[in-house]
Amino acid sequence: MNNIKKIQVEYPYLEKPVEIYERECGHKIVFAYKKGALINISSWVKTGSINENDENNGISHFLEHLMFKGTSKHKAGEFDRILEARGAAVNAATWKDYTFYYVTIPQGSDDRNFKDTLELHSDMMLDPIVPEHEIGAPFDLNNPEIKTKRERHVVIEEIKMRKDQPWTQVYNQLNKNMYTSHPYRRDVIGTEQIISTIPRESILDYYKMHYTPNNITTIIVGDLNPEEVIPMVANAFDFKGRANKQNENYTIDKPTQETKYIESYSNINTGFLMFGYLGAKAVDTKASLVMEMLALILGQGQSSRLYQELIEKAEKQIFNVVATDYYHFRDGGNFMIEANFKPDDKDEAINLLKNQIKNLLENGITEQELRKAKKKLKCSFAANAETVSEIAETIGFYMTVCEKLECVNEYVQILENITLEEVKEIANEYLDLNKAVISVLMPEPYNRG
Amino acid sequence: MERYTLKNGIKTIIKKNNNTPRTAVVLFSKLNKDEEKAGLYYLLTQMLFQGTKSRTSEELANELDENAIELNVEKKADYIRFKLLCLNEDINQALEIMQDIIENSTFNDFEKEIEKIKGEFEADLDSAKVKAQDEYYRTIFPNHAYGVGRNEILKAIGSITKEDLMSVYDDIKYSMQKNIVVVGDIDKEVIIPLLENHLGDLKVSDEQSERKELEPLTENVVSIVEKEDANQAQIFQGWRVPSVLSEDYPVLSLINTIMGASGLSSRLFLELREKQGLAYTVRSVNEPMGLGGHFFVYIGTEPKNIQVSINGFKKEMEKIMTEPVSDEELENAKNNAIGKRQFYYQTNLIEALTIGYYEFSGLGYDFEEKLINAIKLTTKEQIMAVASKYLSNNNALCVLAPKKYLEEANLIK
Repeated sequence: MNNIKKIQVEYPYLEKPVEIYERECGHKIVFAYKKGALINISSWVKTGSINENDENNGISHFLEHLMFKGTSKHKAGEFDRILEARGAAVNAATWKDYTFYYVTIPQGSDDRNFKDTLELHSDMMLDPIVPEHEIGAPFDLNNPEIKTKRERHVVIEEIKMRKDQPWTQVYNQLNKNMYTSHPYRRDVIGTEQIISTIPRESILDYYKMHYTPNNITTIIVGDLNPEEVIPMVANAFDFKGRANKQNENYTIDKPTQETKYIESYSNINTGFLMFGYLGAKAVDTKASLVMEMLALILGQGQSSRLYQELIEKAEKQIFNVVATDYYHFRDGGNFMIEANFKPDDKDEAINLLKNQIKNLLENGITEQELRKAKKKLKCSFAANAETVSEIAETIGFYMTVCEKLECVNEYVQILENITLEEVKEIANEYLDLNKAVISVLMPEPYNRG
Repeated sequence: MERYTLKNGIKTIIKKNNNTPRTAVVLFSKLNKDEEKAGLYYLLTQMLFQGTKSRTSEELANELDENAIELNVEKKADYIRFKLLCLNEDINQALEIMQDIIENSTFNDFEKEIEKIKGEFEADLDSAKVKAQDEYYRTIFPNHAYGVGRNEILKAIGSITKEDLMSVYDDIKYSMQKNIVVVGDIDKEVIIPLLENHLGDLKVSDEQSERKELEPLTENVVSIVEKEDANQAQIFQGWRVPSVLSEDYPVLSLINTIMGASGLSSRLFLELREKQGLAYTVRSVNEPMGLGGHFFVYIGTEPKNIQVSINGFKKEMEKIMTEPVSDEELENAKNNAIGKRQFYYQTNLIEALTIGYYEFSGLGYDFEEKLINAIKLTTKEQIMAVASKYLSNNNALCVLAPKKYLEEANLIK
């Protein structure tokens, strides 16, 4: 294990500290010990829609699909067949800041499953051949004569599926309008137009640019011995001198300076809406934590303010669903309020939500709410340490989006010490009442006035 | 795993998992009667959080959330299930709250809860997939409690009275067969007195079920849902299969693995997604319930692909009934099915739910091992025989799409 830098990070609810190994080439390997019958091997790549433009939007996600289409050693389908035949769960996901690939597999009585999974996983990560016949030829979306359908069509079906989901429709409109220039404004999955035509060469170029040693973190979780495992991983991930990538920096947009309202229509019977605010950079642990707390207090669970005030105690039943979420992103998170409501009461619904934010900004939160948020967030750490896949996902997120796993510990310490005043201050910094983006999806008849 | 019977006769299973910070407790109550008004049991599960003699609904919600106690009550096809999950140190308080909602709920303001449920269901039904699935269940289980979905509940829930609610609440307290499972880092000596203290006043009974039996489908049934702006057609096709107690259950679960549940290497995935590019989501589901179940296939696809998808289903169903699976495919499917079970079993809550379901269904709390053995022993002949026995029978097909495409697929004349 020469030329590998090792550091240890304490991790809540795990028996042993997590070990991070940084190789000379820049590739990072993380090991977390978890007793049990399953192991998880995953690789997180610092690429997602953040790296895309108007010409190639959706390429990170399309490439993720195509990574499963074979290598020089293993033809398409072999990876899935071999691993699933041993009881593995195999998949991948793409989001704004990252793409990750994982295998969760029973450890078995010897090291065969670990070794074979590592071989297949590293081979897929390092040598995808992305065959033309698996991608499918570029085609015209308006041509009904297309008979041969390959992966382009699978992704286009995924896009169509999302178009039929009202929450996704209202979110996409919100997301697009929360930014003016930052790449986050684009939908991760891309457009049918781009996916039907993007050439193979562009996809391969994109792979070469982003799947570089310094852009990849490989995470191993399970009842394994790191002294045996780390050299094996380092050996399997032979980048053969592949050049590293300089990461781009993007300027995050300023929040909208006045409330921005977007209304769209669909063949539905109820109204859907989202309020969106730009939040803190993921690496700003304190602000991110407070935004998470505010989401929890305002709209998560039956004791939350929005549920109690707008559903339980409401004299008139305007809302069917109210909730809040905070998404962590590298260049700045998103705080969102989500509601489903009776369409005739749209204006009142929006005003009631605004009043709740106003109250939060003016009066802050209570001691009781702070206590609740602390306990629930502590408990969510316990929950996230229950399975090998959730441990790997948490580590992957911190390594890739925050670029340091130590954020986990900072997070726990800040959680213990945060005060009511600090919460109020951060709420006022990010949730300006007049700077929200509001996206509303209404039933079609309302479009006709 | 240890078995224990509480003084009131409730059979209890305790499994100690060391070094796990959260304890799971699950209580199953068996439904012995069909609900007289659609939505009654569901309304009951929601009303249990609307206040007790000593706690308002807000106080209840606050106490649960402040202590990060997850307490849910769910109505399933054959039972009502209480699920409790909390940090180990909070188990006594969590059980006390569970006791309070089971014994002292007041059911005030239930009309408001009905309005809330109506709103939630209307919002759910704005999803094309939910709408189609709701219709599919009505079609595969016609005139039966198993087929009651959101639409049926929306029609009937307004007629439910407080007396209706009190009657089924009494059933939970004073009758119904019950089981408890506890999984966590907790000793029997600690948990048994807590269970006796908090759930010891419940009563159990062995009364015979009055539930309506399932009648077989006498013909192929097609139902359609027109949705003009749908970007995808939603297609569900299902066949009736026997209850979970059938000896064919392990074979059917293996057929499900081969057809569409093994992930990226199942037949439907490879054929309809990977080779034909018809869909992002295509899968099969085997859902065996107490009185009988169903095996269904699902695809979400561009509306012009309705017929080609149904043909694809047909081809794969015929293949599994007429062509023996290869030794390799059978072996792979067995390993996948068995391995997936370990994946599934990772958390205390899932373990408690699974053990509880086996015990409650009459399969025995240790059924997992028997199931794995039965899967290991399944032969290719059994696969063909069991597939032919059930999947060649009448089926229910439900398709949601714009009218034009339903017509093109000859689903509307």
